[in-house]
Amino acid sequence: MFAIIAAKDIRELARDGRLLWAGGLVVVLMLVALAAGWNRQVQLNGERSAGQALDYDAWLHQGYRHPHDAAEQGMHVFKPEPPLGVFDPGIGPFVGSTVWLQAHRQSEVKFRPAQDATGLQRFGELSPAWLLQVLLPLLIIIIGFNALSGERERGTLRQLLSLGVPARSLLLGKAAALASCAGLLIAPVGVGFAVFLVARLPASERLDVVYRIGWLAAGYGFYLGFFVFLTLAVSALVRSSRAALVILLGFWVAATLIAPRTASEAVSMLHPTPSRLAFDDHLSHDIADAAGKAWAAHFGARSQWDASLPLSKWGAALKVDDEAGYGALDDNFGALWDTFERQQRAQEWVGLVAPVVALRGFSMGLTGTDFSQHRDFSTAAETQRRKIQDIVSEDLVEHADPLGNAHFTYKAGPELWATVPPFKYQLPSVSFALAHHWTSLALLAVLFCLSVALARYAVSRPLMR
Amino acid sequence: MLDAIGVTKQFGAKRALDNVSLNVLPGEIYCLLGANGAGKTTLVNLFLNFLQPTSGSLQIGMIDVVRHPLETKRLLAYIPEQVTLYGVLSGLENLAFFSSLAIGERLPRLRLLELLEAAGLPREAADDRVATYSKGMRQKVGIAIALAKNAKALLLDEPTSGLDPSAANEFSELLVKASNDGVAVLTTTHDLFHAKQTGTRLGIMKHGRLVEELKSEDVSHADLEALYLKHMKS
Repeated sequence: MFAIIAAKDIRELARDGRLLWAGGLVVVLMLVALAAGWNRQVQLNGERSAGQALDYDAWLHQGYRHPHDAAEQGMHVFKPEPPLGVFDPGIGPFVGSTVWLQAHRQSEVKFRPAQDATGLQRFGELSPAWLLQVLLPLLIIIIGFNALSGERERGTLRQLLSLGVPARSLLLGKAAALASCAGLLIAPVGVGFAVFLVARLPASERLDVVYRIGWLAAGYGFYLGFFVFLTLAVSALVRSSRAALVILLGFWVAATLIAPRTASEAVSMLHPTPSRLAFDDHLSHDIADAAGKAWAAHFGARSQWDASLPLSKWGAALKVDDEAGYGALDDNFGALWDTFERQQRAQEWVGLVAPVVALRGFSMGLTGTDFSQHRDFSTAAETQRRKIQDIVSEDLVEHADPLGNAHFTYKAGPELWATVPPFKYQLPSVSFALAHHWTSLALLAVLFCLSVALARYAVSRPLMR
Repeated sequence: MLDAIGVTKQFGAKRALDNVSLNVLPGEIYCLLGANGAGKTTLVNLFLNFLQPTSGSLQIGMIDVVRHPLETKRLLAYIPEQVTLYGVLSGLENLAFFSSLAIGERLPRLRLLELLEAAGLPREAADDRVATYSKGMRQKVGIAIALAKNAKALLLDEPTSGLDPSAANEFSELLVKASNDGVAVLTTTHDLFHAKQTGTRLGIMKHGRLVEELKSEDVSHADLEALYLKHMKS
C-alpha cells in the first residue's frame, strides 16, 4: 500500500514543479562541485607529487657539504590528497599540506589554500558534502513540509483515511516518496562519480575507498532519513502547512547554519587551545629545559652549546640536543592535538541537537580529511624529520667528531644523502576512521530512530482534527 | 449494516449528538435530514472513526468502529459533500490511485474508464487534470471510487450539494441502483425532495437528537416538508 502512496506522491511532486526546479538546482550544483573538486584534486596532487620528487631530488643532489648544513636546509614533504577529498575537503583548506623537515624543530603543516582564497574563491569552495549536509535537507523540507498537513488542508487526507489506509502505510509511503526524490537526485550523480573515482585509483586503494563510500552512504542515509521523518512528523503534528514550513525552516537555520558555528565556539571555550605565541613560548621553554638537563647529564655543561664543549663532541652534542627535544615536542604537540581531538569529540555530542555537526565529523573522518588523519600525517612527517636528524648526527659522530678541531672541514656526499629514504605516506585505512568516528555514526543512527519514533507518534494521533 | 447505538458526542460543553440510535439495513437508503449543526456530519465522522463517541457505540457489519477502524472502513465507501482529489493528476489517475488503495490492486485502464462512465463522467474528460474539473465532475470521480470499492455500505455527506439538478438526479439513480444491489446507504442532505424521492427511510435531526424517523413511502412530499418545518420551528 505504501508503494502506491509513494508513487502517487512522486508523480505529484514531479508535476507541481518543486522537485524539478529545486532538485534540478541541487543536481547542477552537485555536478559543478564535483567537477571543481576533481579539478582541484588533480591539480593539487600533480603539484604535490612533482614538488615532493623535486625536493627529494634536490636533497640527493645537493653535493658535498657538512651534514648539519644539509639537515638545516632539510626537505619538504607533501600531504597527499585523499581520493574522497573531492567529495569533502574537510579541514584540508585550513590546515595546509606541506611540512618543512628542518633540523632542531618540528614544523607545522603550512601553505593552507584558505590563506590564498579570495572572496570569490571561498564561494568556489562549495563541496558536494556541503550540498548534502545543508542544501539537501532544505530540499526535503521544501518538498515535504505539506506532505500530511497539505493533504489535511486539501481534504484528500479525509478521502485517504476513509478508505482504510493505515496511518503507518501513509507515513511509510510519504517517507518513501521523499527519500526516493532525494535519492533520484543524488544517486545517479553519486554512483556515477563513485565508479569514475574508484576506476581511476590504484588497485591497492580501491577496496578501502569502496568501504569508505559504503560507510559514508550509511551516515548520509541516517542524516537525510532523519530530515525525511522529522519533516513528516512536523507536517502531521501541526495544524497548517504554513506552520509546518516555519517550524522546519527555523529548525534548519538553527541546526544547520547556526549550531555548527556556536558549537565550535562553545567547545573552544570548554577545551581552550593556547595562542600561537603562548604555544611557541612554552615549547621553546620546554625544549631549552630538556636540552639543558641533557647537556648537564652528558657533558657537565652549564648551558646548551657551552663554549667549553670541544668540537670533537659537536656531533654527539647535536644528537643529544635533538633527542632531548623529542620529548618536549611530543608533549607539547601531543597536548595541543589532544585538545583539538577533545574539541572534536565534544562537538560530536552537539550532534544530538544539530545532526549536521555529527555528520560533518563523520564525513570528514571517512573521506580522510579530518584532524585525526591530519595528525597521522604530521606524525609521519615528524618521524621522517627525526630519521634525517638521526642519520646526519650519527654520521657526524662517526666521521666529523674524530677530526677534533677540524670537525667542520668534514663534508658528506651523495652516499649519505641516499641513506635518507624518500618520504612515503600511506593514508590510514577505513578502520582508523571508523575507530575515531563511530560515535558520530551512532548518534546519527539514534537521531534517525528518534525521528522515526516521532513520526510514528505523530501519525498515531488522530490525523483528522 | 450501519448501526449507531445510543451515541453521544460531547465537544467540551457542547453536546453535538445526544443518545442517537439508528440502523441502516442492506438495501436501504437512509436519508438524514436536519439544519446545519444538527449533528448529521458528526454522525458521519463517527462512522468513519474520525471522531470517537463520548458514549454509545457504532458498528458497521456488526464490527465495532472504534475497536476495529480499518476493518469497518473496508466495508464502507464514503463520498463527502466536496470530493477532494489531487489537482495535478487526471480523473483517471485519481481513480486509479484511490481504487488501488481501496481494493489493494491496480485496475486496468479499461475498467477505470468503465467506472468513470458508470459514474457519469464523460470518457473524454478522464485524462484531463482534475484541477480543470467542475464540482460535479469531481463528485463523479468520488462516485467512481465508491463504485470501484464495491462496498457493502455507503456513507454520503450532503453529496448533491452544489450539483445541478440533472447531475443530482443521475446521482440519485446511482444510489437506487446501489441499494438494489444490497448496499446500505446512509446519506445526509438538506434536499427534502431528493430525500423523499430516493430514500427508503428518513430521519430528522435537531440539536444532536434524532427527533423523527419514518418510512419514505408513508409520507408525501408536502407532508415531509410540513413535518420538517414543524421540527425546525419547535
